[in-house]
Formats: sequence, structure tokens, C-alpha cells
Amino acid sequence: MAFKIDSRVGVTSAYRWRQILSNYIFLAPVVALNLIVIVIPSLTSVYISMTKWSGLNQPEFVGLANFERLINDPIYWKSLSHNVIWTIFFLTIPVAMGLTGAFLLSGIKRFQMVYRVAFFIPYVIASVVNTELWRTLLHPRHGIGAWLAKQGIEGFDIRVFGSKHTALYGVAFVDSWHFWGFLVIVYLAAMYQVQPDLYEVAILEGASRFQRFRHVTVPGIRPTLVFTLLMIMIWSVPAFDYIYLLTDGGPAHASEVLGTYLYNMSFFRFEVGYAAAIGVTMALITAFIVAIFVILRRRGWEI
Amino acid sequence: MKRLSILMLLTLFIMVGAVGAQDAVTVTWWMEPSGSDDHVQELIIDVFNASHDNIQIDYQPQESINDQLRPALQAGVGPDIVWLAGNAAASQYVAGGFLLPLTGYADAYGWADKLLPWAYGAGIVAGELYSIPVTYESMVLFYNKTVFEENGWEVPRTADELWSLAQQTADMGLVPFPYGNATWQPSNEHLMGIYLNNYAGPDNVYAALIGEKAWTDSEFAEATDLLREHIADLGWFGGSLEDYYSLGGNDPTAMFASGEGTMMMSGTWMFRGLGPAFEETGMEWDWAPLPPFSEDADMQVGPYSYDLALGGNLGVNAATEHPEEVGIVLDFLLSDKARILELASTTGFGEWVIPLRYEIDDFPPGTDERVLRFHSDFAETTGAGRYGYTAWTFWPARANQQLWEAIELVWAGEMSVEEYLENHAAEWAQDAADGLVLSILPRE
Repeated sequence: MAFKIDSRVGVTSAYRWRQILSNYIFLAPVVALNLIVIVIPSLTSVYISMTKWSGLNQPEFVGLANFERLINDPIYWKSLSHNVIWTIFFLTIPVAMGLTGAFLLSGIKRFQMVYRVAFFIPYVIASVVNTELWRTLLHPRHGIGAWLAKQGIEGFDIRVFGSKHTALYGVAFVDSWHFWGFLVIVYLAAMYQVQPDLYEVAILEGASRFQRFRHVTVPGIRPTLVFTLLMIMIWSVPAFDYIYLLTDGGPAHASEVLGTYLYNMSFFRFEVGYAAAIGVTMALITAFIVAIFVILRRRGWEI
Repeated sequence: MKRLSILMLLTLFIMVGAVGAQDAVTVTWWMEPSGSDDHVQELIIDVFNASHDNIQIDYQPQESINDQLRPALQAGVGPDIVWLAGNAAASQYVAGGFLLPLTGYADAYGWADKLLPWAYGAGIVAGELYSIPVTYESMVLFYNKTVFEENGWEVPRTADELWSLAQQTADMGLVPFPYGNATWQPSNEHLMGIYLNNYAGPDNVYAALIGEKAWTDSEFAEATDLLREHIADLGWFGGSLEDYYSLGGNDPTAMFASGEGTMMMSGTWMFRGLGPAFEETGMEWDWAPLPPFSEDADMQVGPYSYDLALGGNLGVNAATEHPEEVGIVLDFLLSDKARILELASTTGFGEWVIPLRYEIDDFPPGTDERVLRFHSDFAETTGAGRYGYTAWTFWPARANQQLWEAIELVWAGEMSVEEYLENHAAEWAQDAADGLVLSILPRE
């Protein structure tokens, strides 16, 4: 060998540094992109949340005044409570439907692709189209309920989006209608990863279909299941499009969520500083959710 | 030789064309899409471009223009001419220094003599003109003439007659006032504006607008409570409060044109949609001024009045590189009444009626008599000082938003009228403290 041992160390060290440098060079574009579209706007938002700013004039630094105002703003708390309801709704109804749909689909061979496509189609249709579709179907004058009432079948001609008692759940239903097909496909893909031997053993042991689902399928897809639950919780914080399109947070704030409240503050009232404060609290809530999952994972949960 | 001549000629044409193209200034214009954009292009933009070699307008209707305009102007890449969602929005852009004062153009081109005084005045912020109006409108009582004739009803001229007829139609299973806000929540302000002006009276509203009267005064409380009773308790608007929240888009017009609804308290932008809807059903519509809602003569300004309203404004980006050319474009808009009325006629005179000083003879032949009657009576009545104020034209942004949004809490029984008006006064005070209350021309 031409090198002494010291030289070899030097070469190895230089090689390692080159490797580290090249790693950073390859990472640089992504880091730069994230700096531009995430870090800088996020830090800017934190600053804006501490200003009184219309989005057009010179920002005036007001410290934590916007956050103090949030604490005493009943509509903010009402919106937050609706986000909680929204999250619970999506953690239960679409997940249950997705699991059931995927489990039933996993058991059939013929026309499975047809069902998969049928379930998935609403997910790829634009929210504007989906909302118009359901607005028409649930229209109080010419929707399904009105038609049934004309046939003498009463009780279904309710004003789903017009009643403060049903507006939030009505919008959540429409959103989940478009979303559950996505969960079906995700869960179905996970179910195919479960070892078939486990099902065969369960059958030999006399397990019913539900018992196979409960004791084989669910544990088998647990990482996927928990991941979707995490994503649902995170996605529920900035929920916006279906609510904005169907009720715009009304009537009387009955379907207001943080996203629509923030939007109205910014674009109708020109209170961008206050809107940013709402946004910061949304980011903190999301961070809190992620932190819980990280802690659970570190404690050994399989998620 | 002949080939050489042709070649030289062609080269000359290309050079002249290139020089011409270099000299032509392009003025970009962002506009809220209105369904009339093809007509605007044909009757305004193409005509202008054909008659001005050195200026070309690039007309760009923008979806969600409110969301796009702010970041565009902040980034310094906005258009030369901007559409603004009313005077409140314009004042915010003025406060940020994003709009060019137009007073110089107005003086040079005599815009004060071309526009209706109140419409010209509405564009003034801190003594400078910053925007010109796109269209003017007012609130009236539309009624289904066919249903009225079938039932032998007279057009209501007083509040008693109006409310009595509303109750009668409701008892018949009809909807007195088909209306809804499902697709545009701020529609609430149409009704709030009508009730404030027609119950409390335009003089009182004016006094509150200029800070000489409290929004919490009893006249405004009674007006707000009257609307609450009509919309929430009696369900006169849409059929029920839940119907009102469920109806949107063309629903109310369809109900009105089918005879399911008998009257509409709405704006004259409805001139556009009523024609086609009634053509389908074969019924007839007409309109009448809204009567005063209070019997107290001291609060009223005559047998009836019209609320002043503007539907959008045009301003100029302070960062425009072509201020002179933009002035020429705007003056082109304000200088030919016949051209504007021709454009307005394509919308049934529901939009693009720039508030110029029209004479009735300016309207094109064949204009609907009902439209002519409105414009004629509007000019005469408002000229006599009998006019009120719509919220989207004369209210500052925060107070305006609170007016139409928080009223739903009153209707839902979650907030008292008193608390609602106290909040309104507080929002107004905040707007005033920020210098965003709009200037109002003194009442004569």
C-alpha cells in the first residue's frame, strides 16, 4: 500500500467530509424549498399574529393582544369545539365505513376492481362538484327529501344545511362521503399484507368472520390504521373547503370551524393579524397532536 | 426587381408593425367575472383597442379576485386597473397606499360632471378620489304581477298594506318574500339595510353614519327586531328561517317566477335574472318602491325613498407604470353613455349601469318600460333628497361584516338585539379609530 496509516486516516477523514458535504448539497434544494414555503412563512405568521395588520397597511406590533382577544372570543371557542366534533366524527364514521368496506372487499374476487373504483371516485372529484351534488340532493324544495314528501313519505324533508342543529353534521357527512373511499383503498392495501396463514389458522380454530376481523385483520393493519387516525386528526384542524362551500360556517356560526373563521377574519374584515393568531393556535394544536403520537411511539407503541 | 420590391415592402411593413407593437402600451385590467365579460370585451375593450393604436387593454376576469388582488398588489405584480369589492375594500387599499389618487384625472377629464354626485362622492377617501363605480343599484319591491292580478291584490303603498299582504300570502301557503343566503351569506345585509332605512328612516341612518347618532338607539333596535320577527318568527323570507339559509343562487327567483313566492325585497340587479325566469313560466313581474316601515312621519323622508348602492368599484394600482394611459382608459368608460347603456342592456340593466348622468332618452330603443321607470324615478326621487344608504356601499369593513354575520345570532335567539347593536357600535368605533369610516356627502 502506498499510504502510511496516518495518511490513510487523513484520506478516510477527507472522504467522510466529502460524503457529508455531498449529502448536504443533495439536501440543500429540499431544505431551501422548505425554508421558503414553510419555515419563513411560519415565522412570519408568528410575527404577524403579534401585530394589528389589515394585510395592506403597516403592521403595528401589539404583543399578545390578539391572543388575549382569542381567549375572550366566543366564536373562536365555538369554532374550536366544532373542530373537535369534526375530528371525532371523522375518527369514527368514515374509519368504521372504510374498515368495513375494505374487509368486505378483501373477501371477494369478482368485480372487486369495479367496487374499488366506485368507492374511490368521490375522492378524486373536486370538492366544488361534490358539494353542488349534495346541495342539490338535499335541497329543501327539489331534493330527495322533498320528493319523498311528495310521495307521502314524511320526515326526510329537513333543511340539512339550513338548520343550526344539523349543518355541521350535514357538511361532515358530505365530506366523509368523499373521503371514506380513500380509506377503503388504504385499508385494503394493508389487509393484503396480512399473512394468509393467520386467517387459515383462525378458520381452523373456528373463528367467525367478525372474530377474524377483530383478532387478525385489525392487529395486522394496526400501523396503517393508527397512521390514518393520526392523519385524520391533523387534517381536521385546517378543515375548510366543504364547510366554506356548503355553509360558509353558518347558519349563526353553527358550522363555523377555525379555518372558515380565519378566512373571514382575513378577507372580509381585513384583520390579518388576528387571523394569523388563529392560525398560530391551529399550528400549535397540530403540533400537540403530533407530539402525542411521537411520545406514544417512544414508549413502544406500534405506530 | 419586382421580387425585390415586394421583399422591401414586406420588410417595411414588418418594421412598422414592430415599431408600432413596441410603442403600444398594454393596460391590464382585473375584473370580477360577471357573466357579461364577452360583452365587455366586445363593446368596450375591442372598441377601445381598435381606436387606440398606442394603448391596448388586456381585460382579465379573475375568479376569487378578492383573494388574489391583495397578494398581487403587495408583490407589486398587480394589474393597472383593479376591481374592488366596494368602498370599504377601497378604503383599506388606500390606507395601505396601494391605490393611485384619481383626483388629477377627475379634474382633467371632468368626471365630477359625468358621474352622479353621490356616486362620485362615494369614491372619495380623505379628500381624494380613489375609485369610480362600476354600476349603481337600489332596493325595491318586486312583485309577481300575474299572481297579484289573479288575486285582485293592490301593490302595497304602506307598511300596513305590505305586512297585511305578506300575512295573507303566507296564510295561503305561499312564500311572501322568496329569499335566501345559501350561496352568499352577506345577502343578510340586503335585508338589514332595507329595515334600517325603511323603519328608522334615512335621516337617522345618515346621522349614525356620520357619528351623530348611536347605533344602539331605539329606532335601530326596533328596525332590527322587526326584521327578526319577520324572518325568524313568521318565516316570511324563504318560507322559514331554515329555508332562508337553504335557498341560494337562482332558487328565490325560480320560486318568485313560478308564483310560489309573491314579492321580493331585493336589488335592481334582479332586472337581469327576472326576465329569463319569467319568460320560462309565462308570468309577469313588476316592481314598486318599498314603502316606509314606520308610521312615524318624523322618521321618514316622504312617501318612499331609494337606498343608494354601488356594485363594485374600479381603482388604479399605485404601482402602475402607465398612469396616463390608465386615465385615458377610465375616461373612455365614462365618456360615452350610449356605449355603456348598450353594454348594460346585455344584462337587462342589472349590471354595468355606470352611474353617469343619463337622460331617459339616452336609453336604447326597446328598453323595458319597468327599467326605464326605475331609472327615471330613482333620478327624480334621489335628486329630491329622498335616499337611504346600503351597507355594502357606506359601511366600513368590520362593521359591515358584523352587521350581516352576527345578525344570524339574533335570528337564532342566541343574542339579543341590544347586544347585537352594542357590538355593532363597538365595531363601528373601532373602524372610526382606525380612520376607516367612509366619507358621506352631506344630506341636503
